[in-house]
Amino acid sequence: MTADLYATATGLIERSAAAYVSGVPEDAADDGLFGPASVAWRVSADLASPVAGLRSLLMQALHPLAMAGVDQHSGWRRDPVGRLAATSAYLATVTFGERAVAEQAAARVRRIHDHVRGVDAVTGRPYAAGDPALLLWVHAALVQSSLAAVWAFGTPPPARDSDRYVEEMMVAAELVGVPRPLVPASVAELERYVSSVRPGLSCTPAARESMAYLLDPPGLDEEVAGFWQDVRDAAIAVLPEWARQMYGYDAPPLSPGRRTEIRQSLGVLDAMFVGQPGVLEARQRITLRMRTGRPA
Amino acid sequence: MKSRRLLATTMAAGAAAALTLVLLRRRLGPLRLDRGRAALRLFVRGGARYAASAPRLFAAAGEQRQLLREDLALQTAEDVAGTLGAMKGVLMKIGQMASYVDGGLSPAVRRTLARLQDSVPPMSPQLAAAVVEEELGAPPERAFARWDPRPIAAASIGQVHRAVTLDGRAVAVKVQYPGIAETIAADLRNVALLRRMLRIAAPAQDVDALLTELRDRIGEELDYRREAASQRLMAAYYDGHPTIHIPAIIDGLSTRRVITSELSGGARFAELATWPQHERDLAAETIYRFVFRSLYHVRAFNGDPHPGNYLFHRGGRVTFLDFGLVRHFTPAELQPLMQMARTICVEHDPEAFRRSLENAGFLRPGAPLTTQAIVDHLAVFYDTIREPGPVTITSDYASSVVRRFFDLRSPVAGYIAVPRSYVILQRINLGLFAVLGELSATADWRAIAEEIWPFTQGPAATPMGQAEAAWRARRPAMAA
Repeated sequence: MTADLYATATGLIERSAAAYVSGVPEDAADDGLFGPASVAWRVSADLASPVAGLRSLLMQALHPLAMAGVDQHSGWRRDPVGRLAATSAYLATVTFGERAVAEQAAARVRRIHDHVRGVDAVTGRPYAAGDPALLLWVHAALVQSSLAAVWAFGTPPPARDSDRYVEEMMVAAELVGVPRPLVPASVAELERYVSSVRPGLSCTPAARESMAYLLDPPGLDEEVAGFWQDVRDAAIAVLPEWARQMYGYDAPPLSPGRRTEIRQSLGVLDAMFVGQPGVLEARQRITLRMRTGRPA
Repeated sequence: MKSRRLLATTMAAGAAAALTLVLLRRRLGPLRLDRGRAALRLFVRGGARYAASAPRLFAAAGEQRQLLREDLALQTAEDVAGTLGAMKGVLMKIGQMASYVDGGLSPAVRRTLARLQDSVPPMSPQLAAAVVEEELGAPPERAFARWDPRPIAAASIGQVHRAVTLDGRAVAVKVQYPGIAETIAADLRNVALLRRMLRIAAPAQDVDALLTELRDRIGEELDYRREAASQRLMAAYYDGHPTIHIPAIIDGLSTRRVITSELSGGARFAELATWPQHERDLAAETIYRFVFRSLYHVRAFNGDPHPGNYLFHRGGRVTFLDFGLVRHFTPAELQPLMQMARTICVEHDPEAFRRSLENAGFLRPGAPLTTQAIVDHLAVFYDTIREPGPVTITSDYASSVVRRFFDLRSPVAGYIAVPRSYVILQRINLGLFAVLGELSATADWRAIAEEIWPFTQGPAATPMGQAEAAWRARRPAMAA
């Protein structure tokens, strides 16, 4: 698996950047599902995004059926770059793309979900990717993780904007097939929802193995491992305590100094991302559109 | 096969960015073998792409910027923090300084650093004015008789405005981004991260020497008063020089975050390339004299000998700009350099040359190498001055110097290191020769060097040397 990952991982920076760039339109016909004045646009550009992403995965993997689906259809291990790039493109498209383009992308995902079914070997329960309950968990984990990461390491939005963000993001859940009434509409609702799901969560062997690998990919150079460790420590630090316990991670609270270090590492990572062709231009397009929507 | 989508759909783009780290290792493998290329390109790509026909001033920082994006201008101190906080300001400074280490940078790293510089927009006129007011005690339109709110160039963690002083002098005013000094100072304290970055970015280099030097130099640049002091020192030393011109600092209008100096005109490097070869040779001679006279007689080296920092006038007169990266040397630090040059160029004594390398810390004592192998490896750096007579410095020669510098396959390379004090002097090998090579400059460099070397004090070798001798004769004796 390790060798496979390395073998196929070459080009991830380039491909994920290209995917991001492809999702940001040059001359948008409309403002898309969120628009330049949205909190979602601001949050998506935050340098804490890698932490948000990793925390999302850690949370999502605790759902046995979600994890079973991944485990049993683990093509992503053979082509992780392709998977991640596709994900980047999807998220960028949904966030920044024109409305019709975002809807088309979501329709594609729904069509794929229609055919994803199986039985979890651990619990013996059947699952289906199109099950709104699973999709909602995945959605909630992402939204909660984005906020947690931005609050801890990024440029936090004003408090009232956290609620706005959760509300804005409802449309993303709807897009993949979750009925709107089921989707949390505020931070408080989001927390209540996560608590309600919690009794059904557990760290299955598949989750443990996959996340252990992600958190500590073997064979990293010392310097590279240092960056990785910062992202990992950050993601674990902003997990709920109960989730850390499920995994058995031991994480003392971050000192202010350590928090600063992590932020600095995230800044370097962000700079690496901007070093990719087209990323800076895409960000500038976004900034300019946000400027026109913001009082000078 | 399909429910991986479940997971996939959920991963933030950031996860992809995080995972890129896994690959860095993969990517570094081949990159580590590919070093030394394209160091020159960075220098030679001197074309100014700033607003309109503004004279080029303090332009090193913005050399890679396409243009000043006023539509993206930073409007608040928070905008500055978002753009240059979290290590990005430090990275940008490293990018600026990279031209003296970048032969050892991988292309991917160099591209990243260049893009980072592109990513920094100018300050809005209001934000720049606020800094001027905080520093000078009056808004720019009162501190100056005339003030151009549009910056004419990007600069070292700031930008340059044209203005006219209340007593009528045309000046260039460099204004620092607000809050940047504090941010960068804090980020420079994360030594572990800096070391990690440098190990990735410049694996060929002695990272600890480089790290200390970068921290010191960047730290110094945060306070423009230091730059003003260096420029004053240079301007005083070269006062009245026939071909070397240093713009005067305007004292009352220069502070920690604002530096005001006399505005200078002149042709840019790209334009010089269209001048007759005779003019180019003269310009090259002036640059050469400036670099080595400053080193040996002012004990100062401008770490940024960059085409963007020169303005050219007919007859070999050159205006030198931007003294933010000046390294001052002690006599003890200069002594070994002189010994090395003397033993290999003047005394032709390989064993003594070897000993001087060892004494200076360039060569590990007792290295199992023949002295001939050492001389063969290092002689290229002295090729232009080992024998008298006219020599043309070509781009090929400049490239060979860079290649040799980063040639890690040579058996000699493993025993060679650049001691910290001399890290910045790499810019002679990586920068100065690139500029001279780009000019295809011909001169009797050895004879000029003999004029300047304190241990030879040779006779004037050229008409410019005669004019310089006359200048030295009539100027008051100086400590330097």
